[in-house]
Amino acid sequence: MTAGRNRPRLFLLRVAAMAGKEVLHIERDPRAIALALVMPLVLLLIFGYGVSFDLDHVPLGVWDLDRTEASRRLSLAFTASNEFAPAGAADADRADQAFRRGTARAVLVVPRGYSKALSRGEPGRAELLVDGADPVTANQVLTEADAIALAEGRRLAAGRGAATSPPLEVKVWTRYNPEARSAVFMVPGLAAYLLAISAVLLTALTVAGEWERGSMEQLFASPVSRLEIVLGKLVPYLGLGLVQLLLVVVAGAVVFDVPVRGSPLLVLASGFVFLLGMLGQGLLVSVLAKNQLVATQAGTLSSLLPSLLLSGMLVPVDNMPAPLRLLSSVVPARYLVDALRQILLKGNGIGSVWPDLLAMGLFAVVVLALATFRFERRIA
Amino acid sequence: MSAARERRPSRALVQYAAVVRKEVLQTVRDRRVMFMLVFAPFLQTVVLGFAVDFDVDRVPTVVADHDQSREGRERIRELLADGTLRDAGRVPSAEDGSEALDRGKAAAVLVLPPRLGADLAAGRPAEVQVVLDGTDPNRSNVAGGAAVRYFGEVASRGAGPAPRVLLSPRVYYNPSLKTPPYIVPGISAMLLVVVTTIVTAMGLSREREQGTLEQVAVTPIRPTWLLAGKITPFVFIGFFDVLLLVTAGTWIFGVPLRGDLSVLAVATLLYLLSTLGVGLLISTLSSNQQQSFLGGFLFTLPAALLSGILTPIEAMPGWMRWITYLNPLRYFQIVARANLMKGAGFSDVWPELVALAVFGAAIFGAATLRFRKRLA
Repeated sequence: MTAGRNRPRLFLLRVAAMAGKEVLHIERDPRAIALALVMPLVLLLIFGYGVSFDLDHVPLGVWDLDRTEASRRLSLAFTASNEFAPAGAADADRADQAFRRGTARAVLVVPRGYSKALSRGEPGRAELLVDGADPVTANQVLTEADAIALAEGRRLAAGRGAATSPPLEVKVWTRYNPEARSAVFMVPGLAAYLLAISAVLLTALTVAGEWERGSMEQLFASPVSRLEIVLGKLVPYLGLGLVQLLLVVVAGAVVFDVPVRGSPLLVLASGFVFLLGMLGQGLLVSVLAKNQLVATQAGTLSSLLPSLLLSGMLVPVDNMPAPLRLLSSVVPARYLVDALRQILLKGNGIGSVWPDLLAMGLFAVVVLALATFRFERRIA
Repeated sequence: MSAARERRPSRALVQYAAVVRKEVLQTVRDRRVMFMLVFAPFLQTVVLGFAVDFDVDRVPTVVADHDQSREGRERIRELLADGTLRDAGRVPSAEDGSEALDRGKAAAVLVLPPRLGADLAAGRPAEVQVVLDGTDPNRSNVAGGAAVRYFGEVASRGAGPAPRVLLSPRVYYNPSLKTPPYIVPGISAMLLVVVTTIVTAMGLSREREQGTLEQVAVTPIRPTWLLAGKITPFVFIGFFDVLLLVTAGTWIFGVPLRGDLSVLAVATLLYLLSTLGVGLLISTLSSNQQQSFLGGFLFTLPAALLSGILTPIEAMPGWMRWITYLNPLRYFQIVARANLMKGAGFSDVWPELVALAVFGAAIFGAATLRFRKRLA
């Protein structure tokens, strides 16, 4: 029983004691634990069902000045499709008003002479007024309307016996997510987001709470060392985070049929490395902020919004301007989102995920080192 | 002093003014809180306004050209010159293209069949393949659409005069379909709820934790005035934030100011009533700051996502659309966007304003009742 052999055991014992104390804290607060486990499921449902850009039944007003069989066929081609739903008759003034009130997103205008032009063998001209305020919806409306006009043209041509089959066919194959379901896109991103939020904010809050109540000084008076305090505080939240990750992936697979094509072990490993960095960030925030209020605001600022909007979860990183792409390279959620999509959707292995793991590992090392350093300074 | 005797302010007003003074001093003295309340929303609006761009372009595309004809190369050049797809190199075969998708080196593969040039010249049917990485549905839709549209146009070049329907679009309000003018007002609504709800909830919980709320409760001040005084500075901060964000949006992101801004002012006031009311309600339901924060968070995050700020409400399933009717953010973002971008006035958005007023009154009323009960 030399001191050298005893030290690692004592170290583990103290870390375990700190972790046990922290677990008690969490356990005694049933509301917090419920939130930590219910929140992922609520968010999963919201993201899976609610966060989608795919519009059906866009309200479309029709302003038919031609009032012929042909013009009615054209407006029917629009409103009978799954993409548009009739929103009543409209005219130029009422189009603007309908857009302002949000009762229509587009108005189809069929000018006088549409059917005459067609019967002369000339192209029939129509106009589509689009509410462009929301660019994503407007883009979808434009694409769908183009396709409908093209199909209507082909139908007219076929009725006339003209050449129908275009000589050049484009065949589009969509891999990984052929039905273009938002949930498949969102769930891996959501997992990263949830981990970022709960890890950073819960650690920041629990540590800031100890500073605020003065119980941190009491801990320092005990024989437990600084490192042991830090580790003991982080371990339970690491466990909680991994449980959340599992919960989201399993629920996503069960409820939304999100595939798990790659190794589940690799999913957990990526989550683990990511969580280390996030917990370190939470710790750093709590050391820098003096109270819980500032800690949460700083935690929100540094983790919640960047993880949502700079991680590629909602908006592809490639689309961002260069300075933001640079900024996003220090947002660890970006690497986890990429890693999870690769593993879950594409079934990729460590061979192509390692750069992500490396980046997250690097972030974790830097941030934990900074946090421990500031922690030491703060109490000295 | 005679003037003071002639028009002595009522006791309630004095109490109210004292609380406001104390709250303002406390908020202003804590520089970090001021930073969070004023500078952080500004910074976030600027960063996020640039980051959130749903406009898909530069989709990395690799080409497997089995044809190797001049005609084929010309088609590739034209398609990639459009800007939606970005040239990410050539691969010898479609399999290598799939490999590039797996590795994330490309998001689209264009496969030209052998003899494409010869078939096109002879008017024989030909088939071009496009393989897409469907991980991001928005991106794959746009990339696939670009390829289909381009080759459709190529096909119609050769066709004779056939009857067709020419549809010319006219886009209102945002003709170049830019994201920032749309997203920036939405982000402002989101930041406003994050700042006001969580700061109010945590601020009050903190006072309860420290016992200062009980200390004030033994003074002759009425709970209602205490509450009003505590809320007032946040109403001003909220207004200031909106002003700041709209100004930033106009100068930096080209958000148009087409409507009468008094509509936005009324909407902001009613909206703040709701967000501050929710914060207050949460503080009365929690026993410490951590719970307050989590409660505030559990409200603000779903509220932000189910508001139509980031994704259209119409894209949600029916039952979820009904939930959004209970969400003050929904009404505020509709009013803000319609007012700023489309020039909507009171006659257009009054239903939303009424909804905001009803919510504000109900939530604030319930919160005040609970607050008074807990203090009493």
